[in-house]
Amino acid sequence: MDGLTAIVVKIGRAVGGVVGTLYQAGRDAVDTVIRNVIPFMAFISFIIGLILTTGIGEWIAKGIKGSASSLPGLLLISVVCAIPILSPLLGPGAVIAQIVGTLLGVEIGKGNIPAQYSLPALFAINPQVGCDFIPVGLALGEAEPETVEIGVPAVLFSRLITGPLAVVIAYFASFGLYTSHK
Amino acid sequence: MIVSGMVAYAAAATVDKPTGFLGSLATAAEDFIKVFNKGGSVLLSLMGGILPTLIVLLTAVNALVRLIGAEKIENLGTIAARPGIQYYPVRYIILPFVSVFMLTNPMAYTMGRFLPERLKPAFYDSAVSFVHPILGIFPHANPGELFVYLGIATGIQQLGYGLGDLAVRYLLVGLVVIFIRGIVTEAITAKMMSRAEKAA
Repeated sequence: MDGLTAIVVKIGRAVGGVVGTLYQAGRDAVDTVIRNVIPFMAFISFIIGLILTTGIGEWIAKGIKGSASSLPGLLLISVVCAIPILSPLLGPGAVIAQIVGTLLGVEIGKGNIPAQYSLPALFAINPQVGCDFIPVGLALGEAEPETVEIGVPAVLFSRLITGPLAVVIAYFASFGLYTSHK
Repeated sequence: MIVSGMVAYAAAATVDKPTGFLGSLATAAEDFIKVFNKGGSVLLSLMGGILPTLIVLLTAVNALVRLIGAEKIENLGTIAARPGIQYYPVRYIILPFVSVFMLTNPMAYTMGRFLPERLKPAFYDSAVSFVHPILGIFPHANPGELFVYLGIATGIQQLGYGLGDLAVRYLLVGLVVIFIRGIVTEAITAKMMSRAEKAA
């Protein structure tokens, strides 16, 4: 009888543990969505509304169209974003990348930028990723202050090389992407 | 409620267009509210289209990560710290991928603690560069910065194309890019460290 009770208790605990984990996971998911995702969606929706209903869209389209629908143009964007002085300023919260991404998305949706360019564009607008966060990121990895001192410029300079390089790789990887539809 | 009622009324109206001073005010007011109506419908399509899937996906992956246990990946960190060229892919492809997937942004960078000092900047560079390419398929890794990917993906969706192709390619190219980034940053760090040692 004791053995049976032990098994029942064991099964009960295991099931309770799994259900509890799933429930907690759901709570975390909803929490993240409410705190991080929906506020940004609201902000982005406002920007899209502004672009679509006012003349701003046409103005941006003219500016972006030339640079975002050719490889040299995208390279130029990535080099500018990767400049070691600018990149930490453009980084925080990836807000700039998210806004520019949304602007490009609107233009892609309207057909002003070929869909194939979506892939290299994703890299062109984002060579500054994490450039604002290097000291904190290194501290999370328990780096010494000396490492941080060298690590910050090392990453920033590396981006000048790897930022444009990523665009080139993405450009060649984008062959055949959404082109058969045309 | 009031806003949508106003627009419905404006759309149903069959009277002449308002003229004069008050008329231009009325037109301005309508143009003003049009911006937010458009924004509202965009918000609704985002929340109706993406959000339910995202919540379910986040729940599933969160549960998976909890059931596996984040501490299980610590062994990988010690393997990645080994010298030798065959450990480069472990350090700058597998470790960043697994860290970002399991620990998400920003806790993924804590995995750097298993690496020697000279490799930490390169690992950070590699890991942080992966928090966006992963979003197309695993948005749980960095939900706060979803729109880096989603902004452009929304445009693709509007054209009526599937997102799978873009998401997969973004992830794969991301892996190639973080590998290169790790190697380049490691080389630059090594050079700067030896220069600093000489100066000291």
